[in-house]
Amino acid sequence: FNEKPLATPATRKLARDLGVDLRRVPPTGPAGRVTKDDVRALEAPE
Amino acid sequence: MKTYDAIVIGAGPGGYPCAIRLAQLKQKVLCIEKENVGGVCLNWGCIPSKALISAAHLYEKSQAGAAMGIKVSGVELDANKMQDWKEGIVKKLTGGVGSLLKGNGADVVNGTATVVGPKRVDVTRADGSVEQFEATKAIVIATGSTTIEIPTFKFDGDTIIGAKEAVSLRRVPKRLMVIGGGVIGLELGMVYQAFGAELIVVEALPELLTGVDPDCTKIVERKILKRGGTIHKNAKALGYEKQKDGSVGVKIQADGKEQTIVVDTVLVAVGMRPSSKGLGLEKVGVTVDQRGFVPTDKFCRTNVPSIYAIGDVSGPPLLAHKATKEGEIAAEVIAGHKAEKDWVAIPGAIFTDPEIATVGLTEAEAKAKGLEVSIGKFPFSVLGKAMAMNETEGFVKIVADKKTKQVLGVHIVGPEASTMISEASLSLEMAAFLEDLSLTIHPHPTLGESLMEAAAHAMGAAIHIANR
Ligand SMILES: Cc1cc2nc3c(=O)[nH]c(=O)nc-3n(C[C@H](O)[C@H](O)[C@H](O)COP(=O)(O)OP(=O)(O)OC[C@H]3O[C@@H](n4cnc5c(N)ncnc54)[C@H](O)[C@@H]3O)c2cc1C
Repeated sequence: FNEKPLATPATRKLARDLGVDLRRVPPTGPAGRVTKDDVRALEAPE
Repeated sequence: MKTYDAIVIGAGPGGYPCAIRLAQLKQKVLCIEKENVGGVCLNWGCIPSKALISAAHLYEKSQAGAAMGIKVSGVELDANKMQDWKEGIVKKLTGGVGSLLKGNGADVVNGTATVVGPKRVDVTRADGSVEQFEATKAIVIATGSTTIEIPTFKFDGDTIIGAKEAVSLRRVPKRLMVIGGGVIGLELGMVYQAFGAELIVVEALPELLTGVDPDCTKIVERKILKRGGTIHKNAKALGYEKQKDGSVGVKIQADGKEQTIVVDTVLVAVGMRPSSKGLGLEKVGVTVDQRGFVPTDKFCRTNVPSIYAIGDVSGPPLLAHKATKEGEIAAEVIAGHKAEKDWVAIPGAIFTDPEIATVGLTEAEAKAKGLEVSIGKFPFSVLGKAMAMNETEGFVKIVADKKTKQVLGVHIVGPEASTMISEASLSLEMAAFLEDLSLTIHPHPTLGESLMEAAAHAMGAAIHIANR
């Protein structure tokens, strides 16, 4: 339960579609949640 | 030989949504069903049982209006009429599934499927003829499960029955014994109990509804006893003898002592067995575990890459919504989309009286994982809406991580528990904290307020009950 990053189902799906490992995404959302923008930010540079 | 992109075996809540989703994703799909579309759930499981439960609830409520000043006399059940009504619902829904499959462009074939190769399926029709089909991409096993029969209580379709017959009884047994105090046994047992049957529950384990928060189970047990029922735990049903008058004497062993209980009908509800035998799976090298379940990975794939398994046949929990979700995931994976089983928790709803619904970890499970927990609890007995409904039994219990305050599990016993658990499920999926639930404005007066208050209670801030 707690090893999983805090992220909503939609964010989890986005990460999957972009091939981003959620555990690598630095969270900026409220109370440490990973947001969609966090996922996109990590995906962008590559 | 006809060729499809994908072939789905079984048209239950796993198979038919899988076929529909495949068709939506522009895959040429065949769905094979040996009985009726809709599977166990529509034909003799979820829907029929819920129809009877709602009739039983109305029957009971209609007689319990005295406290509200409503006097009713001569309330009668016409079991034939009730069955006709239920069968009408089943017909409407299965007809709907048929049209949905067709409307989406999925082909349906009636017959028994056998897997004869990693991408080949034979279908035996009712007339004995065999047709061959080929899948270019995948075969999906969605064959579900069937009732477990115990050798000493062979079904005779009348006195010794399974769930399938129990949802179709056109009479109310005077004395009903239920062997197996699980979800199906208690749901159906309580239906006939509400209609006046004397209910006797025989459970081999020390508790009814194993795995459910025992605080919740207790409330339902109390109701069974209050209505004059009997519960034998740690008890084994050994066998039975038919009496001259058509009743049966069932020999049970409880606490080391043997006794005979005379009843009119015995419902055997000790569980469901996966339908994985005789499908040809062994021949094509698909792994089947000891219990008969077909293990799959997070993409619903078996060990044979072209063969997928979903729903009851792929393992517990044996629930319709789990089957449907896996059906959608398998379809998306087959169509080349990125999908996987990534849910946080699968909710469970138990339609006893009162209902129990649960999602996530129980208090005991969280502690077993070594987590320190905060517990919040709010009883319906102090909730205005529950009082107005005259249904005040039960409570909402929330289990949260003590340090982070993340919600780990929600357990509800009481009116509309099955409806309220959806908000709890969303909370778990969204990784909600106790504050997320307690800071969300819930309309007043509603049953849902109890969730908000239970979350507040876990933080020592409930308004309508004392905080510890
Ligand atoms: C009395 C009762 C009440 C229930 N209530 C609930 C409830 O309230 N909520 C809930 O979530 N779940 C409930 N369940 C469980 C639910 O019915 C199952 O979890 C669900 O039906 C599983 O779906 P499935 O698609 O995996 O399999 P099934 O519904 O079992 O469907 C499998 C289909 O495959 C067909 N089939 C099998 N083998 C072959 C073959 N070789 N060729 C062609 N076709 C084949 C079968 O005929 C069947 O139609 C209940 C079950 C029972 C018995």
